[in-house]
Amino acid sequence: MRPILHIEAGARSELGRVRKNNEDYYLIDSALQLYVLSDGMGGEAHGEVASQLAVQTVLTHCKQAENSRATPIFGDSSPDVSERTNRLASAIHLANRKVFETAATNAAQKGMGTTIVAAWIDAQRLSLAHVGDSRAYLLRAGSMDQLTADHSLVAEKVRVGILTPQEADASEMQSVLTRAVGTNSTVDVDTDEQALLLGDFVLLCSDGLTRMVTDPEIASILLTSSSAQESADRLVDLANENGGVDNISVIVLRVAEKSESVFERLKIWKRYSA
Amino acid sequence: MSRLVLKFESAALKEVPLGTRPVTIGRAPDNDIQIDNLSVSNYHARVYLEAGSLVVEDLNSLNGSFLNDIRVERAMIKDGDSILIGKHEIQVDQQHDAALPLDNLRKAPVPRVNETMVLDTHQRRMLLDAAVAAGERSQLSPERLRVPTLIVMRGRTDEKEYRIAGKLTVIGSSKMATVRLRGWLTPDVAAQINKHEDGYYLGRGDRIPKINGVGINGLTKLKDGDVIDVGRVRLNFLFRD
Repeated sequence: MRPILHIEAGARSELGRVRKNNEDYYLIDSALQLYVLSDGMGGEAHGEVASQLAVQTVLTHCKQAENSRATPIFGDSSPDVSERTNRLASAIHLANRKVFETAATNAAQKGMGTTIVAAWIDAQRLSLAHVGDSRAYLLRAGSMDQLTADHSLVAEKVRVGILTPQEADASEMQSVLTRAVGTNSTVDVDTDEQALLLGDFVLLCSDGLTRMVTDPEIASILLTSSSAQESADRLVDLANENGGVDNISVIVLRVAEKSESVFERLKIWKRYSA
Repeated sequence: MSRLVLKFESAALKEVPLGTRPVTIGRAPDNDIQIDNLSVSNYHARVYLEAGSLVVEDLNSLNGSFLNDIRVERAMIKDGDSILIGKHEIQVDQQHDAALPLDNLRKAPVPRVNETMVLDTHQRRMLLDAAVAAGERSQLSPERLRVPTLIVMRGRTDEKEYRIAGKLTVIGSSKMATVRLRGWLTPDVAAQINKHEDGYYLGRGDRIPKINGVGINGLTKLKDGDVIDVGRVRLNFLFRD
């Protein structure tokens, strides 16, 4: 019998130990199977405005597109990916425009922007779109793969061969981005698609996690937790323990079998009704 | 071999090897090292070999050239020296390490820049120039003329030949599969092919595919002519002109 796949999601976003406010933001729409996370920037807490506006715009646009085929597409479409992935990219183009225009009308918010990483799941296909250095990872068969390329100066230098990954990790310039949502009138959005398999984990996170926790530690937590939410909590706790230098946000997605999740729900129901 | 490294705020932007020809520095585009900044003269300075030594010469620039903070007209330079032109630094590197030496590289813990910055379009362009100089294909390079194709050698599929177009190619019975497999027990996603920047990679689905008879262990890059087995289906992967 063919298993029906079910996406179990867990998420957490925290201040960390050093920052004064949390400029990360995330939203999950389980019905749509749309998961979006962002890391805002731009002094005086304007990063919060940017990150929230961007994520909410993406959600609204995607929802609207699901209901109405006449929803316009923003930005360039790629022939390399499906309509749905292009729609996700369109949402980010729209978010860019909104944040940019908001910053333009308010002198205090000038220069505000945000990273964004978004995952949209349709049956077994994962659509991914991102701008900036917040990441998406796929954990499959015990092996972690970073699905997104960081749009940061050090990462671009590593790709070109001017820096080694070790030098990049030691660099003072790690926060310098080459692309962000809202800082220019247009932006290039990277997209990707993957076919999901039972047992896969997809992780969306801001750099507050990956600066503090290594890939093997992440994989270990994902594989040994009993739920996606527990994974999310443990990841954030570990990032805090290791210093919590930045805001920390994670969305953990577990590709499970549908019958399994019904069983989980029965267990929870039993617990609360006792 | 020696080289000059152009830096801006300690970020390396471009490297130029020092050969027998002099290296020119200035704002005009025909310079070897072009610095697009108003404080830099069109033909600001040049560096050349003279009797076995490296020399920097200021070309009567408006704002001058500085060698280790001293304004110079003409001076000998050696490994590790820094020439300041406008706000840009040009470092002399005569050791030719595999990677650029980051100055002040530290044994103490690294202070991180707290604020996130985004490079403006000009800085991004400089970075792209560095990438092009390093031989990396830019995003503007023309599409490869060779089309990746899967030819069905054996097995039940909906077509006999498939062009691989796109980042994700699913082999299976799912509706989103490119290579649609027939058969009752065929999984939705039997195997998949992902397009990466450097080529096409075959990955598992609910089945572990074989390349040339050997089961894959994780994502494996496909070569022209590879034979892929997914269950009973056999496909030939090749690049067509």
